[in-house]
Amino acid sequence: MAVEKLFKDEATEEKGERARMASFVGAMAIADLVKTTLGPKGMDKILQSTGRGHSVTVTNDGATILKSLHIDNPAAKVLIDISKVQDDEVGDGTTSVVVLAGELLREAEKLVGSKIHPMTIISGFRMAADRARKALLDRVMDNKDDAEKFRSDLMRIAMTTLSSKILSQDKEHFAKLAVDAVMRLKGSTNLEAIQIIKKAGGSLKDSFLDEGFILDKKIGLGQPKRIENANILVANTAMDTDKVKIYGARVRVDSMAKVAQIEGAEKEKMREKVQKIIGHGINCFVNRQLIYNFPEELFADAGILAIEHADFEGIERLALVTGGEIASTFDNPESVKLGHCKLIEEIMIGEDKLIHFSGVEMGQACTIVLRGASFHVLDEAERSLHDALCVLSQTVNDSRVLLGGGWPEMVMAKAVDELARKTPGKKSHAIEAFSRALIAIPTTIADNAGLDSAELVAQLRAEHHKEDSNAGIDVITGTVGDMSELGISEAFKVKQAVLLSATEAAEMILRVDEIITCAPRRREDRM
Amino acid sequence: MATTVAPPPRAGKTESYVDNKRKDDIRMSNIKAARAVADAVRTSLGPKGMDKMISTASGEVIITNDGATILNKLDVLQPAAKMLVELSKSQDVVAGDGTTTVVVIAGALLKQCQTLLRSGIHPTVISESIYKASVKAVEVLTAMAVPVELSDRESLIKSASTSLNSKVVSQYSSLLAPLAVDSVLSVVDPEKPDLVDLRDVKIVKKLGGTVDDTELVKGLVFDKKVSHAAGGPTRVENAKIAVIQFQISPPKTDIEQSIVVSDYTQMDRILKEERSYILNMIKKIKSTGCNVLLIQKSILRDAVTDLSLHYLAKAKILVVKDVERDDIEFITKTLNCLPIANIEHFRAEKLGFADMVEEMSVGDGKIVKITGIKDMGRTTTVLVRGSNQLVLDEAERSLHDALCVVRCLVNKRFLIAGGGAPEIELSRQLGAWSKVLHGMEGFCVKSFAEALEVVPYTLAENAGLNPIVIVTELRNRHAQGEINAGINVRKGQITNILEENVVQPLLVSTSAITLATECVRMILKIDDIVTVR
Repeated sequence: MAVEKLFKDEATEEKGERARMASFVGAMAIADLVKTTLGPKGMDKILQSTGRGHSVTVTNDGATILKSLHIDNPAAKVLIDISKVQDDEVGDGTTSVVVLAGELLREAEKLVGSKIHPMTIISGFRMAADRARKALLDRVMDNKDDAEKFRSDLMRIAMTTLSSKILSQDKEHFAKLAVDAVMRLKGSTNLEAIQIIKKAGGSLKDSFLDEGFILDKKIGLGQPKRIENANILVANTAMDTDKVKIYGARVRVDSMAKVAQIEGAEKEKMREKVQKIIGHGINCFVNRQLIYNFPEELFADAGILAIEHADFEGIERLALVTGGEIASTFDNPESVKLGHCKLIEEIMIGEDKLIHFSGVEMGQACTIVLRGASFHVLDEAERSLHDALCVLSQTVNDSRVLLGGGWPEMVMAKAVDELARKTPGKKSHAIEAFSRALIAIPTTIADNAGLDSAELVAQLRAEHHKEDSNAGIDVITGTVGDMSELGISEAFKVKQAVLLSATEAAEMILRVDEIITCAPRRREDRM
Repeated sequence: MATTVAPPPRAGKTESYVDNKRKDDIRMSNIKAARAVADAVRTSLGPKGMDKMISTASGEVIITNDGATILNKLDVLQPAAKMLVELSKSQDVVAGDGTTTVVVIAGALLKQCQTLLRSGIHPTVISESIYKASVKAVEVLTAMAVPVELSDRESLIKSASTSLNSKVVSQYSSLLAPLAVDSVLSVVDPEKPDLVDLRDVKIVKKLGGTVDDTELVKGLVFDKKVSHAAGGPTRVENAKIAVIQFQISPPKTDIEQSIVVSDYTQMDRILKEERSYILNMIKKIKSTGCNVLLIQKSILRDAVTDLSLHYLAKAKILVVKDVERDDIEFITKTLNCLPIANIEHFRAEKLGFADMVEEMSVGDGKIVKITGIKDMGRTTTVLVRGSNQLVLDEAERSLHDALCVVRCLVNKRFLIAGGGAPEIELSRQLGAWSKVLHGMEGFCVKSFAEALEVVPYTLAENAGLNPIVIVTELRNRHAQGEINAGINVRKGQITNILEENVVQPLLVSTSAITLATECVRMILKIDDIVTVR
């Protein structure tokens, strides 16, 4: 009666209960892995690469951890994906979203165990998520019209984001850096204009924001080290020789003098090229490729600052911020857009010399120079700062702000609980479960800080039973505190994204009732 | 390294600290591994510290006392142990000296943390407390420091010799210390008095002689021979020096070319042409009055040929060939000239001038020295000598440390006593401070204070003194207000260490404390090691 073989060899199929179990377990395992990094007292992880060099990364950033994991479980992959999306969309809350999804699934597992159909659970979850979102919207604050207040909101958000990271000790300093940088953008979310340069040495406190652009390169020999009112030509062109690209092209000559002539002609060609470049009326030339000694000297003679071998990202950004275009032919000077800046000079950061462009065309642009003891610290600092910048730039557009420290979760949980009470039928179980999953977030924050989570969360719940409570977990003192007084804020957009994408992910995994693993594609036997 | 440590006994679960076993194990094994690294370098601390012999995978042998070098050569795999290696590197970047101290302090801190963790204190609490303690420690150190002026050459020399005293070359510290001071001071730009670029001090190593023969050269030294083809000059007075980046050899085009020779006479003509081509170049060079040529190494074709060398020798031009491209900037800066990339641009105004360029025999090799440079840039060259490669290398490393010490003083002009005095004082003051703190914090700060005693303890131990007697005696003296009492390793007793001229820059001590703390905090916060792609 049974069908003999439906699938290819090695393809596997898991059905019904087993399939659901497998995805629950996988998703929860992932959630548990990153759970300990949540909150201001969350722990870090070492990521040890199995690749060459066994490089080591120390991080607290959920997205970074998940991105680099080896994962085989399909449900776990879904969670990693939502973390990635969260990272791309809003930049922060990458851990929260995974933890929430994990908790939702944990609750769902229990419900499935008590014979509630997954579809009922899903519709309950949907209702709950909807209600939760409305609850947040009711309590949201918007200070967009008051510039002063808005700025302080931004500072608070930045500090809250940073407090769970390595930068927590100097969070005020970095929050200010991040807010200043984002304010300069004037509403655009183009974070490319903010350049982050990492330089080992010094301490995190020595990091600073610079108005302008810094290029980690050297100025050519014998060229001016300081130029005012610079006209910059950004180029990507070969400054060794224009080679004939046809394969096998060769010249036949019959005397040494002719070889010398060819060499001379080549030099002459180069000189012409340099003359053409100089003809653009520039005093600074930045090339992505090498500039050889000969043209370098020509530039030096013309008093032009030539920078060779600027990396690709470097020149693209430079072109962006100075308002120029990357050129590769120089025959029509009028069609090439030059970049401008007020001042170019050589500066020293730590032990290295860098080139500093200030007063650039694109006023928004700025550079944050990070200093730190080691590369681990610097890398982690960059990730943290990136998170803060993302959140801030999102908040500038959507200025709605919530309190932090587990406050939004409690508000949502309360609203969802109320909904559960009003809802008739089995769905109410699912709604209740949703509220429990929400409460798991403050519980985890408290657990990570080494606090008595059961006690604290119970207190919080009691506080929130009153109308308009601002209570949240104050991790520093280990008590329930007023979040608005403590200045712990979060962006609405982040919370909303966490809520919605976690629910969606949980729903997606819940719907699964069969996992089919395809047979691995066979490698051609080359033996 | 100690990656295979047995899991430590599990501490009893306390009320407040909810954590699972695996996480504890990871933290403990990280700490153990890191401490093992610290123990490995511990014995090389201080003037009577021992050296390590390292034989690298390639069979090369290195003998050194420099913490950063030792750790760099250790092939550690355990991630936490790696962090300690990084720590030492950072100290090397920031201060250049104290690379052993920083690791030893980190090791001691970790040991204390282990005890604290076992008694159930949450890692983040420990982490924050030791951060506070380190901030306080820096304050205390700054208060202890004595300001120093750059004109005060004596004090600078003292601190450089303190750094040198712990090295293999310690018996030469009286020679190397002033040398380091002079070379750094001579590259300080009066316009930017806080910045020293150590790249402006070039160290040239030459085997032969003893470390005694190390000298500071006001000018340039090349570890190269003058080209001797056809009896060219090896000594030129009133030199006019050109740095050229083009080649004096038959032309070569970038496009592929071949010369078609169809009969014998043509061959002759080509040879002749080649000769006249080169001769022409040399004539141009000669016409500017140039008599010394420094030729950049070329990868595309021969920088010089025998033929061109011959003609250059005939023209009485001294030639140094194969100069690396990286060195060109240093050379032009020193000679105050411009590099010349094309024969057409060979003009007199691009030349540099020096009183004397000569080739000298040193040991079994030869060097070229350029002295009496007109309008010399702010650079110096130190010629290091040594009887064998091992000593030579170690001398270079030690000199680098000494240079860094002087640089630290230029950056931050404060001196502090050495010989364990600041550490004991810190330990005492932090211990007192911990008593006014509340709860866990006070407890952790106290442990931090205790950990700092490791420096004098190890100093005494390495010097063969009884560490317990010495450290208690030190504590006693400091309690009585002698804040500069430290271990005088030479006399084997406790004296006022400032009077003994054992001083070090403040920056070395402060950065050692802050960096070690930062690293320990990072290790503490880690609760899992995840293997990734």
